[in-house]
Amino acid sequence: MKKRHLPAFLLLLAGQAALAQNKYTLSGTITNKSNGETLIGATIRSGATGTATNAYGFYSLTLTKGSHELNVSAVGQKPKTITIDLAADQKLDIALEDNTQELQTVIISAPSRGGRDLRGTQMGVEKLSIKEIKDIPVLLGERDVVKTLQLLPGIQSAGEGSGGFYVRGGAVDQNLLLLDEATVYNASHLLGFFSTFNSDAIKNVSLYKGDMPARYGGRLSSVMDVQMNDGNNQGTHVSGGVGLIAARLNVEGPIQKDKSSFLISARRTYADVFLKLSKDTDVNRSQLYFYDLNAKANYVLGSKDRIYLSGYFGKDVLAADKVNGINWGNTTGTLRWNHIFNNQLFSNTSLIYSNYNYTISLRQDVNDYTIYSRIRDWNLKEDMQWFPGDAHRVNFGFNGVYHSIKPGQITASGNAGISSQELPNRFSLDQAAYAGDNWKVSDRFSLSYGLRLSAFSILKEDSRKTYLNAEPRLGAAYQLDAQSALKAAYSRNAQNLHLISNSSSGSPVDKWVASTQLIRPELADQVSLGYYRDLSEHKYELTLETYYKKLQNQIDYRNGANIFTNQPIETQLLYGRGRAYGLELLLKKKTGRLTGWLSYTLSKTQRQIDGINQDDWYNARQDRTHDISLVGIYKLSERWVLSANFVYYTGDAVTFPAGKYQIDGSTYYNYTSRNASRMPAYHRLDLGATKQLKQTKKFSSELSFSLYNAYGNPNAYRIYFRDNKTDPNRTEAVRTTLFTFVPAISYNFKF
Amino acid sequence: MKNINYIALLLLLLNSCEKAIDLKLPDNTPKYVIEAVLTNEAGGCRVAISQTKAFTGDNTFTGVSGATVTISSNGSAQTLTPTGTGIYQHSTFKGAPGNTYQLTVQVDGKTFTASSAMPQPVAFDSLYVKKGEGNNKDGSPLQYAFAGYNDPGSVKNFYRFVQYVNNKKEKTVFIADDEFTNGNSVNNRLSFSNDNDDPARNIKSGEQLTVEMLCLDPVVYQYWYSLKNGAGGDGNNAAPSNPDTNLSGGALGYFSAHFIQRKTILVL
Repeated sequence: MKKRHLPAFLLLLAGQAALAQNKYTLSGTITNKSNGETLIGATIRSGATGTATNAYGFYSLTLTKGSHELNVSAVGQKPKTITIDLAADQKLDIALEDNTQELQTVIISAPSRGGRDLRGTQMGVEKLSIKEIKDIPVLLGERDVVKTLQLLPGIQSAGEGSGGFYVRGGAVDQNLLLLDEATVYNASHLLGFFSTFNSDAIKNVSLYKGDMPARYGGRLSSVMDVQMNDGNNQGTHVSGGVGLIAARLNVEGPIQKDKSSFLISARRTYADVFLKLSKDTDVNRSQLYFYDLNAKANYVLGSKDRIYLSGYFGKDVLAADKVNGINWGNTTGTLRWNHIFNNQLFSNTSLIYSNYNYTISLRQDVNDYTIYSRIRDWNLKEDMQWFPGDAHRVNFGFNGVYHSIKPGQITASGNAGISSQELPNRFSLDQAAYAGDNWKVSDRFSLSYGLRLSAFSILKEDSRKTYLNAEPRLGAAYQLDAQSALKAAYSRNAQNLHLISNSSSGSPVDKWVASTQLIRPELADQVSLGYYRDLSEHKYELTLETYYKKLQNQIDYRNGANIFTNQPIETQLLYGRGRAYGLELLLKKKTGRLTGWLSYTLSKTQRQIDGINQDDWYNARQDRTHDISLVGIYKLSERWVLSANFVYYTGDAVTFPAGKYQIDGSTYYNYTSRNASRMPAYHRLDLGATKQLKQTKKFSSELSFSLYNAYGNPNAYRIYFRDNKTDPNRTEAVRTTLFTFVPAISYNFKF
Repeated sequence: MKNINYIALLLLLLNSCEKAIDLKLPDNTPKYVIEAVLTNEAGGCRVAISQTKAFTGDNTFTGVSGATVTISSNGSAQTLTPTGTGIYQHSTFKGAPGNTYQLTVQVDGKTFTASSAMPQPVAFDSLYVKKGEGNNKDGSPLQYAFAGYNDPGSVKNFYRFVQYVNNKKEKTVFIADDEFTNGNSVNNRLSFSNDNDDPARNIKSGEQLTVEMLCLDPVVYQYWYSLKNGAGGDGNNAAPSNPDTNLSGGALGYFSAHFIQRKTILVL
């Protein structure tokens, strides 16, 4: 249906391209000279005409015949100027050198490159390269892209002890997490203290919090697109680190120099070793660890083809003893084929696998039982990028995902009387086709428009059904002057996979369910408006965005829902709507000894679901009135880098009791309005310092120190209510705090 | 189904700290609380009426007197008489399996009603104690009671157990349905966590253990399920709420017509 219109659409654009006389196309790949890694988002421009490399480092730039001075730049690389005389279509691969100059290594975004693109229509996006997050202090010294992204406006931590995050009022499951295009269903390690993204293996992260390009779909709130490193194709290198609770090792190198490379990156925590030393039998019998492995290989088949194979495997184990516990993990695999049809047409074809499962094991006396659940996807995806001239950049493609969900399988033995049983698997096919164009209408005005058509089909059940959704994406940018721009966007997204959770902090056993006859696709419409300004000759960058989001078919458990039933879950759910709006401000200092940013979000997020809160609107748990982050990185000397960040946010909206009563001699609590109370406001300061140790050409190492929650604010992880232990005639509210003053030291090396 | 409390485990491993704090809570508007029970035994017919109070008050709940309480079935009504402040009883009235009973409570111009059907009994076959893994905080071995019964396969069954150690009632709500045990010979472990480290709650040798087995009306099972998961104040539930009740008129509590059996053993 979609495809019938596509050729006509393409012809129209091709016609426009043909009109451009005396123009030739320059195309190629931009890489990092030292390791051969392709550079994502590197810019190449001649005067006012320019473009950026795609996710595979490929660019295509159409210029007039004649001589051009090309400026090529990328975050963390030395800019390069190349002069060419363009007389025919030309292929030009460019390698940029690392920027190792003093004072430059800690620059968040160097001037006029890597900063926000004033000309482009894209808004509501946050991009980070691993180089940028290196010096920001984190919990236990383990760098983590997810935690760092939460320091940016509109992206809010779901709290300590949770790996999830909220984007513009969306729920945790409304974020699409992609690792080399494969969906990661649970990005939490150790119940959220770490993410599944090992920063050693990661090249680049983009988080779209509104106005997602049409090539992405399937989630309402955001897309977090994580790209793994390809592996060094210039020489073999080993890097690693030893911290307080985890060790990491990364090996990469060429298979054939310049042509192919591999990367293997592994992590394992060893906190469980210390548990064994404890005298408390509850502690020393416990197990608590995770490990994960990233691997990737790529092969250049010729000037036009390149193949990538990448994979991730991770597992968490948390157990009270040898038999009672839970383990969970993700597995993903991606096989990709880049093909350059010609200097204007780039194709990527991917076959993607992803899997998430968990097992709960319990033993009571001689009875053992395990509960197993799984979601597994096979995804075939085709993305085409067409550069029909300097005014247009066209994306189109399709994908089809086959989901199979095993909601629950119980295996029991012993005399407890529990029957082994299995709920029937559920199958669905999630198809989409899309096309979009970024159109530079004039030097000042750009438009982007696209459409994604999604078809979600419930398969192999008595009641087959297909949900069709048209998801338009629109964006416009107007450059006010050389320093400032205004942008506006509208987008619609549909979501057919839903995470059903009622725990306050998210849990590995929360259920993924697909849309059914009763569970309809969630829909979100978002409009956003932004103002962007460069200040003091690119020293500072100001971003101001506002958004309003309308959500339909939101899902929640009904009050008193039975969450451990194996019966169809629909009977335990209620459906309603939501709204979210807010204002986001980001002020970045990009150059000098001191760099960093101030981020502030003012927002409101509400839900209205018949059957909850007397059918009235109520605050969603993630409703955060204020959210502030302040990040500073100071280059003290050639050896020392100091850093600090401060975080403050309004406490979650929660339901606290209005009174108490007794049933059967025990105290219970009376609840009135949903989420009408607040957790105490959260705030903390983290400090960090990194010392570069002796550095030779072959070997470098550094020591990192960090202090998490430096002034020891007892932030509330949860608040519960109970009878006082010593005076049972009184009740009390008890606050649980996870982390106060967590110092950490880690050693990182590279050779 | 029971789930392991990994949050509690994690908190233990992280050595997290706890502190009682002052919080701003919503205002208490007193609500009636009705706990109404009819069993197959004489003397088991009892209704307690009280009111909610502010969180900051003490845990002494005074009953509400002056109510008119009746339970009727098949057109004949029994009126309960006050035996204490807010306590209404009938010394001889017994329920029978298969019958449906209607409760009416009139107090201060308000009327609250509920209906409950007493299910057919399932025989309480055995009660025994077995050691768990580990020790209690007082050093005694961790021991649990097991209740044995043959769940009938033809109908859905709902159970509640009440445990007494030396006549002291364990406050944990033990409930079970037969979703995963239908038609089986079941040995149900009465698992509880001694969260306030009260030695009197532990099952120790030489003590007298009594367990009552209650066969419940499904709506009453749902009451206990939602009470336990939503109204206990444990902070794990993202959306605490008042339990599902069979009482209409806006009161908290429940009306349960259940079949009760009990067994007592000496722990070896």
